[in-house]
Amino acid sequence: MRVKRHVFRQHFRTLLLIIGTALIVFYCLMPFYWVLSVSITPEQKFYARDVRFIPAEVTLANYGNLFDVLPFERYFLNSTIVASTTVAFSLLLAIPAAYSFARFRFRGRHLLIRSLLLLYMIPTVVLLVPLLIILKTLGMINTYRGLILAEASNTIPFAIWLLIGFFMALPRELEEAALVDGCTPLGALIRVVLPLSLPGIVAAGIFIFIAAWNHFMYAFMFASGEEIKTLPVVLRYFIRGESGIFWGTIMASATITTLPVFAVFMFFQKYLIGGMTAGSVKG
Amino acid sequence: MLGRLMGQLPVVSRTKRFHLAQKDWLPYAMIAPAVVLVSVILVYPALTAVRASLFDMNLLRMFETEFVGLANYKKLLFKDDIFLGSVLRTFRWTGIVVVVQTCLALPVALFLNLKFGWRGVLRAIVLIPWVIPTAVTAIIWVYMFDANFGVVNELLVRLGVIQSYIPWIADKKGSFFIVAMAMVWHGFPFMVIMLLAALQSFPQDLYEAARIDGAGIWQSFRYVTLPQLMPTILLVLLLRSMWLSHHVDLIYLITDGGPGVANFTIPIYAFNLAGIEMRIGYASAVAVILAIMLLFAAQVYIRYIEKSREYLE
Repeated sequence: MRVKRHVFRQHFRTLLLIIGTALIVFYCLMPFYWVLSVSITPEQKFYARDVRFIPAEVTLANYGNLFDVLPFERYFLNSTIVASTTVAFSLLLAIPAAYSFARFRFRGRHLLIRSLLLLYMIPTVVLLVPLLIILKTLGMINTYRGLILAEASNTIPFAIWLLIGFFMALPRELEEAALVDGCTPLGALIRVVLPLSLPGIVAAGIFIFIAAWNHFMYAFMFASGEEIKTLPVVLRYFIRGESGIFWGTIMASATITTLPVFAVFMFFQKYLIGGMTAGSVKG
Repeated sequence: MLGRLMGQLPVVSRTKRFHLAQKDWLPYAMIAPAVVLVSVILVYPALTAVRASLFDMNLLRMFETEFVGLANYKKLLFKDDIFLGSVLRTFRWTGIVVVVQTCLALPVALFLNLKFGWRGVLRAIVLIPWVIPTAVTAIIWVYMFDANFGVVNELLVRLGVIQSYIPWIADKKGSFFIVAMAMVWHGFPFMVIMLLAALQSFPQDLYEAARIDGAGIWQSFRYVTLPQLMPTILLVLLLRSMWLSHHVDLIYLITDGGPGVANFTIPIYAFNLAGIEMRIGYASAVAVILAIMLLFAAQVYIRYIEKSREYLE
């Protein structure tokens, strides 16, 4: 009798787990299902009011159309250049700064860390007009450099803040040993600290990449020229219906826009979760 | 020279030696590039914004710029109905989204904290809405509620809830509803991860003790989990509220702030003033008020952080 009840409870638990899982998977994936499904449905179907939950025919014509009608490869390239350069640039500046904050005690350190946190909380709209004027003065409107600088105003404070935590977590003894063995402090950073804190650096890099790939407002304001447009700016014109482009092609572009961040996510998934909990206010 | 010599004396402890090996300028040299850049693209622009808010300044007639002191702020707070409406809408937007997100994220986090075979995969799946680009999120929800091709209309018609297709996005409440739902979906993974991280750090023996004392599932949640989780819930609420109240991208992508001013939150209003009407003095005043509100919230956050991260001391 007792065994039976135990078996019943075990089955009941499994059933609940399956129901819970199904609900979560449905909520998380169902909206994106429409992107994929519409992107492979032949376009002319969408002149008529004909909503199908499963596509009757499958085609890749929408994807071809995207590159025929629009210089979509240009937009894709723009996004790639901006996002990856923002990652490299931000990390290059943030790593030494974060290491210095984490390891050395110097005058003004406390004040600077605090200001960094406060600066990070300045809303985007405050910076919008001043940055526009600065970039105009420097002749950087509609350039990669300009947009990357603007994105860095968000990503650098974030990366420094995230990396301080990672560097602090490394035992000091490692560098001390390196110093005793004749390394310079800089050599200790490059040969000992960097390899060991790679998970943190990778996490920071992924966050910056996803943020820079997704951000819309700066790209919209500072880089909306045809040659320099990034994907979110292009998608915005689609959403407004100003483009005369139909849902099939729009969803094809949405799929391609999602692919790179999704790939990055799949490869580096385990690093992300540690980074997410380190506290992010923006982006 | 003396320092270096002392550094090599065997009587000096290891840590001491480590400090002596440093050059005084090195910490500053390492932070200098970041500090210079942050000054140029964050500090200087922020100060410029504060300064601009004291001027009557319009990009379309820059030569007529004049200093007006606090007049912009006076006008905002006492004469501008759109601004006051935007303040209310900011609270409505932030409040509704953050509460719905929490109500959704808490059970999901508790579920993911159970032990079962496919937990790792499910955890990754939960993160997907957060990974999907904001512009794509906007497209998804605009499509689902589209007046002609939307699946929501179709579903409601088939179920007999509505007679004919409704242009949700053109409706004041409808458009707010769409943006809020899109944001809840896009943002809730972040909350799940924060809550899950907290749940996993709780010591297991408390649950053992509760079980031995005869506590059921609900009781051990109510008296063991919830009290421990409360600080994290409050922190996440604060962080998300700050984030949502200055968020522009999704609202602007889906609605442009419209129809009319139906989705004007404070940042959208500021953006509209600056980007469309070119009234940058007035727009800066709106943005600065938002920043001041956020700085108050930030104080609470920083106090929390200082308790948990010792290196700020």
